[in-house]
Amino acid sequence: MNTDDLIAALAADTLPQPGIAQRLVWSLPVALAVCVAAFVAFWGVRPDLGAALASLAVLKMILPVLLAGLAGAVAIALAHPVEMAGRRWAVLAVFAAVLVATFVFHLQRGGLSGLVEALSISSLWVCLTSVPALGLPFLAAILWSLSTGAVLRPRLAGAVAGLAAGGASAAIYAFYCDQDAALFVLPAYGTAILSVALAGAICGPRVLRW
Amino acid sequence: MRRVVQARGGGLGQDSCEDVLQDVLLAIHTKRHTWRQDAPLRPWLYAIARHKVVDAFRARGRRIELAIDDFADALAAPQGPDPLDGRDMEKLLGALDPRAADIVRGFGLRGETTADTAARLGMTEGAVRVALHRALRTLARLRERMIE
Repeated sequence: MNTDDLIAALAADTLPQPGIAQRLVWSLPVALAVCVAAFVAFWGVRPDLGAALASLAVLKMILPVLLAGLAGAVAIALAHPVEMAGRRWAVLAVFAAVLVATFVFHLQRGGLSGLVEALSISSLWVCLTSVPALGLPFLAAILWSLSTGAVLRPRLAGAVAGLAAGGASAAIYAFYCDQDAALFVLPAYGTAILSVALAGAICGPRVLRW
Repeated sequence: MRRVVQARGGGLGQDSCEDVLQDVLLAIHTKRHTWRQDAPLRPWLYAIARHKVVDAFRARGRRIELAIDDFADALAAPQGPDPLDGRDMEKLLGALDPRAADIVRGFGLRGETTADTAARLGMTEGAVRVALHRALRTLARLRERMIE
């Protein structure tokens, strides 16, 4: 087919392509519904939720949601060529740095033995498997939405999408998890969320190619 | 765009350049919503073109590095004779279902309007528009698989 003919055919197609935001509006509620249904069926809300929400433990829900929002904003920017994501990256980096600093602060207070003790509970494995499991629907929704965009760096975009998905699922898992010690929550949730980011980085190049 | 592709993808040979150019045009079309109207158009076009040229080299098992600045010289590049036919696109059209391929050809080769195609195939104009849209998207997807 002649190139000019192709141009004529392309010009005749005036239907709009669904954008990333449009797809997110469709897919995120579905992912959330799947996730909440699974959560209610297999996990369930912790019995002392009321008391937890009134304490510092509420940060276990707020911080992951914030992370999901910040990482999501970076991911959307990555799906638009020439869009400068600099400021969004900076905010995400500052956020991560604050979390790491908080962890280091608690580590110095509790010591290495305190960390080992905090992590030597069965909740650790529940957390490390539950967050990724709950994160899969979100990861699928975000990657599917990004795939309509034009991602130039699919591995990076996949990883950031995984970060967002992990944040969302960690916030939901926090309604079940009754371990509130900072020395447990920061490393356990952090590792779990990063494992979702790893999954995103692995899927990214395959799903986001165009 | 042809000159940009030729300047950057010179090692691909004349015919391949035309194939890559058609890839680029298809990508510009299917990804046009990722250009924000308040953003400058040129860098966006170059980013899409670069992505597709790199893809083409990768498909041929070679690696290249392209700097966006290089495209600035693109307009001065010598223009050889260009056979405007893309061979790959013809193969792809063959892989489409015949009716979809016919609609794309109708618009492209014969310069039909939506109303012409609708009358010829006994479809509504809306259905023709949707069929064309789907056909082009399928083309883009098939093309991707071909490069893999």
